[in-house]
Amino acid sequence: MILLSYATAIIIFCIGLYTIMVRRNLFKTVLGLALMESAVLLIIVSSGYIPGGVPPIAPFSGQAVNPLPHAFTLTAIVIGASDIALALAFIVKLHRHYRTVDLDRIRGLRG
Amino acid sequence: MTLVLAIMLPLLSAFLIPFFHLARKTLSAGLISIMGLASISAALAAAYTGWYSPAVSLMGGWAPDIGIALVGDRLSSAFLLLTSIGSGAALACALEKFGGGPWRFYALFFLLLGSMNGILLTGDLFNLFVFYEIFSVAAYLLVAFSMSWQALEAGLKYLVLGTIGALFILLGTAFTFMATGVLNMALLAEALASIPRETLTAISACLVLGLTIKTGAFPVHFWLPDAHSSAQTAVSALLSGVLIKVSIYALMRVCYIFFLGTNGTVFLAITVTGSLSVLGGHLMALRQDDIKRLLAYSTVAQIGYILIGIGCASAAGAAAAVFHTFNHMLMKMGLFITAGNLSEEKGTREICGLTGLWKSHPVWVAAFAVLSAAIVGMPPMNGFMSKWFIILSSAGAGTVIPALVIAAGTVISAAYYLRILSAFISPGEGSSSGLPPSVPRKPRRRSISFAIVGSFALLCLVLGVMAFSPFFRECFSSIGQTAVDVEAYVGLVTGR
Repeated sequence: MILLSYATAIIIFCIGLYTIMVRRNLFKTVLGLALMESAVLLIIVSSGYIPGGVPPIAPFSGQAVNPLPHAFTLTAIVIGASDIALALAFIVKLHRHYRTVDLDRIRGLRG
Repeated sequence: MTLVLAIMLPLLSAFLIPFFHLARKTLSAGLISIMGLASISAALAAAYTGWYSPAVSLMGGWAPDIGIALVGDRLSSAFLLLTSIGSGAALACALEKFGGGPWRFYALFFLLLGSMNGILLTGDLFNLFVFYEIFSVAAYLLVAFSMSWQALEAGLKYLVLGTIGALFILLGTAFTFMATGVLNMALLAEALASIPRETLTAISACLVLGLTIKTGAFPVHFWLPDAHSSAQTAVSALLSGVLIKVSIYALMRVCYIFFLGTNGTVFLAITVTGSLSVLGGHLMALRQDDIKRLLAYSTVAQIGYILIGIGCASAAGAAAAVFHTFNHMLMKMGLFITAGNLSEEKGTREICGLTGLWKSHPVWVAAFAVLSAAIVGMPPMNGFMSKWFIILSSAGAGTVIPALVIAAGTVISAAYYLRILSAFISPGEGSSSGLPPSVPRKPRRRSISFAIVGSFALLCLVLGVMAFSPFFRECFSSIGQTAVDVEAYVGLVTGR
């Protein structure tokens, strides 16, 4: 069960990386970044899972799942959201200048 | 406590600047310089503490295996000294150019300063990632600060590649946590020795790939020339002189602590990347016509030298790499500030348009000549000494190919720096017509920039001569020793 989630995460990570490398549309690049980020977060969250564990909220009985990865995930979500917001802001600004989000027609800085 | 202050003071300044702006509507240059001086002296105090008595400060009093530890030893103090000098110089240039006007610029600058100190002092892998992201977001915004289309494009490119790098670092951190259950770097150094070989390979591949993208080494360097050439002068100097060095520190720290005893292939990979960067960076620089892009590609090549030094996996190699890091900061900041000022003066960044400058600005051209002699590696200068130490230690590590690559790269770099200098010296047609009216007020306006460039050029000479003194060599070899002595680091953090 847990192996399935790891495999899914790695596949999503690779899809994200592939999207960034192959697609020429800037919005798809940002989608690729978001996919990669979600994949890493999925790995971190599922690494804290213990079969049969209960939520780690103060009065609990039995074995709780590891809460530390959840804290990491929250931090990483905030960081990822700010990265993606910034990327979208840049794209909006670039779109105002070029009237397109096609990477082939934007690149002025080649070479 | 000094270690915490080095992170807290710049962050506090960054958050206070918007409030000052709201309350007063104008921000005085004096206030910014007081904040800058306070932040830089806090960083220097932390460097002093780390140098003379390596210190650990546990955040909130939690033990290293649960909480976050800040660690200051000789390697971090050397880099703290470097970032303090570099960011102080960049702040002075920015104050001279903009005054107290653009409050957003200064808020980002202090955010960057605080997160750089955080990266240099943290002893926790996840905390390193968090500071790295604060640092990167501030850097993306500073690159795009002028909001011209080049700057926006360069910022977006930097953001996409930087985020891919950050996600690889995060993936490596996640794998590390899954394999060992701790995130403290000192405890990881012990724990990583006993995990399966395949896991270790995955962890090292993710971490080294992510950090290499952030460093801007050759196969993944696309963001670097755009970002460094599209930003404003002070920011370009800061990017090339200081930001790259912080990434070098992270790579050095993570590789030496985690993989020195466990996975030697990492260092072979770093050496190969370094050699490729030297050749690729110099060859790409040879083809550039834009002076700032040329300097940016030259940075790619210089990072290659530093990576070859790190890849030796020995104390001598680490010491040579740190020495070259210092020298490159002095040389490249000086070159970027000079190139930026001269090309603003002429209104063009094309090298063939920058003619007749020897007549109108002899001191700037002289400083540029000294700095480029240093970066090419003329014998009495610091660039020669550090390249020489890197060649010696890489030959001592068993293979002579990196040394040959460095020698070949030196020849190429001499070719393109001489091309710039010959353009500067050649008599240009417009050298006497446009300048006289602007001469009376311009020298005063840029005197701080020139003082910085001049003192950096002087330091290049002084450091080259100082490299012969035993005391100086003792200092740098102790930095190298600290970098590779994993047991001392573990002992320092765990208190054993």
